This record gives sequence, structure tokens and C-alpha cells, in this order.
Amino acid sequence: MIQMYHVDLRYTGGTYGLRDISLTLERGEFVFLTGASGAGKTSLLRLLFGAEQPSAGQILVAGRNISRLKPAQVPALRRQIGVIFQDFKLLPERTVFENVAIALEIAGTAKREIRTRVWSLLKRLGLGHRIDHRPRTLSGGEQQRVAIARALVNDPPLLLADEPTGNLDPALALDIMDIIADAHARGTTVIVATHDPTLLERYRHRRIVLDGGRLAGDRAPETYGVGVRSAGVTRA
Amino acid sequence: MIDIRSARRLAVSLRSSLRGARERPLVFALSLATMAAGLLVLGTYLLIVANLRGVLERVGADLRLVAFLSASASASPAEIESTSARLRALAGVADLHYVAPDAALKRLRADLGEDAGVLDGMAANPLPGSFELVVASERRRPAELRSLASAVAAVPGVSDVRFGEAWVEGYARIVRMVEWLGAGLGAFLVLVLGAIVAGTVRLSLHARADEIQIQRLVGAGGLFVRLPFYLEGALQGGLAALAALLLLRALYALGLPLLGDALGWLVGAQTLVFFGPPEALGLVALGVGLGLGGALMSLLNLEDRP
Repeated sequence: MIQMYHVDLRYTGGTYGLRDISLTLERGEFVFLTGASGAGKTSLLRLLFGAEQPSAGQILVAGRNISRLKPAQVPALRRQIGVIFQDFKLLPERTVFENVAIALEIAGTAKREIRTRVWSLLKRLGLGHRIDHRPRTLSGGEQQRVAIARALVNDPPLLLADEPTGNLDPALALDIMDIIADAHARGTTVIVATHDPTLLERYRHRRIVLDGGRLAGDRAPETYGVGVRSAGVTRA
Repeated sequence: MIDIRSARRLAVSLRSSLRGARERPLVFALSLATMAAGLLVLGTYLLIVANLRGVLERVGADLRLVAFLSASASASPAEIESTSARLRALAGVADLHYVAPDAALKRLRADLGEDAGVLDGMAANPLPGSFELVVASERRRPAELRSLASAVAAVPGVSDVRFGEAWVEGYARIVRMVEWLGAGLGAFLVLVLGAIVAGTVRLSLHARADEIQIQRLVGAGGLFVRLPFYLEGALQGGLAALAALLLLRALYALGLPLLGDALGWLVGAQTLVFFGPPEALGLVALGVGLGLGGALMSLLNLEDRP
């Protein structure tokens, strides 16, 4: 699903956000992207949804090289990717329904289909009774569920989540993670950037570790407790 | 050919452009009022110019180029007919009228009034016959008149040509001044109004920054993001022009009876006129164009990536 070859992300001024990142994600995988704040997790996700362009290297998403996408080509890529953020990024003056429907409207979906899909997804996520509410009247967990609904309503093959539980208490965080896990179970490739050890412990998935913009480890779930596969070297 | 999905996106853009007015009615109304005020000034000036042009056209229509025939020998009807045909054939002569020597003398007597007695002692009529030429409206500029006068003077039998050069120069100067003043004021107002719309759209852009960011995240293209702002600018400009037009019409209807006498000296016997449908549509189109131009200006630096 995703291949990255020797990818650098260098900012104006010469500092590196990412350096020499090479990795492969299979279709249908669930991957945690982890590391301390500033390790490069968000930068990597931004590269994947075309918000940044790599300074060097190649990135392939679903077989398509997105390393040198022109601005006009970015929207088509984004319609294939759902993105979730820590701060939800909802429109406060729009209803829950409108916040979710925006993704389908932009895709040019028919009104009737928008109604059906948004309604059934919100119902599935336990927000059927909140459909006409504004985001400010919802709890943090509910707001994040709306954001997830917006990211999933297009049935994207790839879901990127940047600290999706960062603003939520532990119980709500698990609730959100269960929804993301459910999307994964339905076939979506998922990358969750997090540094929450509780989530990493509870959900046994592949972990890609970043440190100072470099790949510091890539650990498959079956290796937990055995060691960390790191840049081709296994450490005990 | 536009596909169904693009048509649906266009419909969403249209609805989104009205959202700006709905969600920020005060900003929208204020900028609309400012634009309408500017267009009202411009419209008032254009109305004055249109009426002044009418006056000048009417005065210009009275313009006569007089071709005097040789006074030494009285021309035969055949010669007069021949000269008339030659003059009529000249480019720029819209019409002509022959004034016989007797008619000229009679006219002079009428002009002299009580002093007409001075003509009694003359043994013979000293006045020559003449042709009064009506000059076509498109040939009333000084250079063209001079050229026409030369052509008339070259016609056999014509001894002298007069067309009131000083008056024509003055007439041309007034028309030029009105046109230049109009162009200057128009350009100034167009810039000011464009800047007002650009400012409003920028405010709108700022207020909707989050929405734009989210639209882009879920795959909105550049046109989808920009189109509502273009439409909002065009809508604002068109509505402002309509408001200015209605206000101007009301002021015209209310002010005309009050100012009729005062304006009488300026426009003479000419009836004041309001814009016809083409001019009114032109003003609305100008408003729409200004709104669109302002939106284009303010979106020049909008980046295509978040």
C-alpha cells in the first residue's frame, strides 16, 4: 500500500523533519507510528497525504508515486485517504451531519446517497441521536467520532490518524481506538501516530519508531517481548 | 463537457458562496453598502455625462458649414443644382440647404431689426447665394471639419467657406474634458471599489480559513475552494450595482422636479434622461466585474496546499 525509499524532508533553513526513511506497508496493515514529540510522526503523515513534498527519495501510495505531485493532483490523492487529527478539526457552525457530509459533497456524491451513507455511518458510530447537533454541544469523544466518520465516509483504502486520542481521557481513547480497529477489520489500511503507551500495549500491531526524524525501529507484533527490529539490526 | 460529479460540486460551491452572506451578514451588508455608495457616485457622474453629451449633441446638430457662392455673377438654377449635387456627394455632408441672395438679404434685415434701414440705400443686393451644410455627427471634430471645409472650398462655384472654427474648438474641448474627467474618475472609483471587494473577500477568506483547510483535507480542488469566493464577490458587486441603480433612480425621480429650474441653464431645452436598459445593464455588469476582479485579486496568493 505504501512504499517509502530514502525519504528526506528538509525545511527551509536546513533542518530535517525526516531523514532517510525507507519502509513498506502492506495493504490492510495496521501500523502504529510512535516516538517522542518532534520525532517526525506528523511530518511523515503530512508527506503521505500530500501536505508536504519530500526533499529527497520516493513515496508510493497504492502504486502511485506522490513524491512530485502537482497541486492539482493532490485532491485526487486525498479523496483516497481519510485523515484524523488530535484537535478534531470540525466546523463549529455546521451540524454533525454537515461536518461528515462535506467529504462526500466534495467527491461529487448525489444528495440521496450522502444522506444514506452519513446517516448509517453516524448510527454505526453511536451518533445517530446527535445528527443535527453542533460540535460544541458534543463531548470530546463524540467530536472525535464525528471526525472519524468524516474520514471514513468515503470508504478510503487508507486511514491516517495523528494522535487521535491525545485530547481524550483513557476510557474515551479506547472507545475511539475500537472504532479505528473496526475500520481496519473492514479492510482499511491504518496508520496511527501516537506516543500513548497504553494504546501500544493494548493493541498489538506493528510499531514503527521514529527518533529525531530517523527510523529508529520497526517492530512486528509477534516480536513483542523478543526484541526490536531496528534499521535492519535486531536489538535485544 | 461537465460530468455529473463536477456539476454536483458546482452546486455545492454555489450554496457555499451564499453561506458567506448568511454567516457574516454585517460584514457583507457593510461592504455591499460601501460598494453601492461608490457605484452611486460613479452612476451619478455617468448620468451627468450622458445628459451633457445629449446637450452637446443637440448643439452639435445645429452646427452649419456655410459655403458661399461667388457674388459677382448670379448662378443659374442648373449651376445651383450642379453645385448642390457636388456638395451632397462629399463625405460628411448629412444634408444641405440653398439660401438664395434674396433670402439671405431678408434674413439679414430680420437680424438687424430696427437698424435694417441701413440696407435701404444699396443699389443692388450685395449678398451672395450660399449652401448651409449639415455636418454628419461623426465628422464634427475640428480636424475633420477643416478637412471638409477644404473639400467644400474646392467645389467649383464656391468662393468662401465658414464654419465657426472657434466655436467648434470650444465644443470639442468641452467634450474632451468631460470624457477625460469621466475616465479619470471612473478609473479611480474602479480601483477603490476593487480594493473594497478584495478586502471583503479577504475577510471572508480569513473567517473561513478552517473550512478551507478541512475542504482541502478531504480532497477539494483549487477551483472548488476558490469558486465560492468568486461567486460571492460577483454577487456582492451585482447587488451593489442594483442598489446603486435603484437609489439613483429614486434620487432622479425625487430631485428632478426640485432641481429642474436650476438645471435648466445647464442643459437648456433638452429633457433630462435616465439610463436606458443597456446602460443600466452595463452598470450592473460593471458591478459584477468589479466584484469578480476584487475576489481574483484577493485570492492571488492563496496556496493550493495546506
